[in-house]
Amino acid sequence: MMRRFVADLHVHTLLSPCAEVEMTPRNIVWHAAEYGVNIVAITDHNAGDNVAAALEAAKGTDVTILPGMEVESREEVHLVVLFDKIRQLREWETFVNAHRSGRMNNPERFGAQFVVDAEDNLVREKPEMLLASLTAGVAEISSRVREIGGLCIASHVDRPTYSILSQLGFISPDVALDAVEVSRRVPLTEARSRIPAIGTLPVVTASDAHTIEDFSTGPRTVFYMEQPSVAEIKQALNGQNMRKVVV
Amino acid sequence: MTVQELVTAVPLTVVSGQDALTRAVTGGYASDLLSNVMGQAQQGNVWITMQGHQNIIAVASLSNLAAVIVAGGSQPEQEAVKKAESEGVVLLTSPLGVFEVAGRLHRLGIAGA
Repeated sequence: MMRRFVADLHVHTLLSPCAEVEMTPRNIVWHAAEYGVNIVAITDHNAGDNVAAALEAAKGTDVTILPGMEVESREEVHLVVLFDKIRQLREWETFVNAHRSGRMNNPERFGAQFVVDAEDNLVREKPEMLLASLTAGVAEISSRVREIGGLCIASHVDRPTYSILSQLGFISPDVALDAVEVSRRVPLTEARSRIPAIGTLPVVTASDAHTIEDFSTGPRTVFYMEQPSVAEIKQALNGQNMRKVVV
Repeated sequence: MTVQELVTAVPLTVVSGQDALTRAVTGGYASDLLSNVMGQAQQGNVWITMQGHQNIIAVASLSNLAAVIVAGGSQPEQEAVKKAESEGVVLLTSPLGVFEVAGRLHRLGIAGA
């Protein structure tokens, strides 16, 4: 049966050095249930270590967690990548680990990178510097994500930093994008007219939350579809089989 | 000053655009934000960047630049090289950092806006 799904496809946990420590998977799931967010994608910078805890924390709730990541390419473009299964995310992490800069994080300067369990217990700190570009470019990243069966969305294309438009000027055809994301600064209804470089690509919006305040206030994208899955979202983005993005 | 003279003096490696090295250089620009380059670089400028994505060729072509210098040991992607060849864009590389390349160009009399 078709229904509405409220989705936040871009949420950081306390694994991201720039996110607040309150962003534990359990706290995010609790707030998602409280605010009626049906789908939450966990998208930490260049890492997926807190996704398992989020999946665990969401058990027995009606919140669906999508395993994801916000990847930084060689060109310093941020891309949100989303998968259905943690197995796919693990496969993607193998690619990410093979394309790291080799630099280590300095928690005092850039912020700590905490891996936690579903009950908010600290498991370990992630030593690799996550807020850094990988050695792979946007074209290679997007095609690999597609091979694994994931979605690739260009992050906050309205922003002056780390956006595919700021870094590369325009979206070139070598990038396999499923959609672009606009931040809370641009209403979804105005995105295409205010940012002509989006062209005909589907547009979503997400909180890009680094705090619970960000997460609670949105923005979110509403999908009309049957299941909270990547395949259904892909159809909705393209307006296929009655699925759609509700604007 | 022509592109060829810069290639010899800095020195720079010619990746593509061998036929267009006689073109006169009107000035220089340095940035890794292509959105910014599109608005700021002037016709006939040489542009120094670390970006190696194929869009650098489109930007150079669109802004009618005399040459693109990919500096800092960064390597232009294969697609960028192919595009540069097909569009006749002068693509140069240097192991020197962006600052050093800009400094050497400036000493040779190439100024920014």
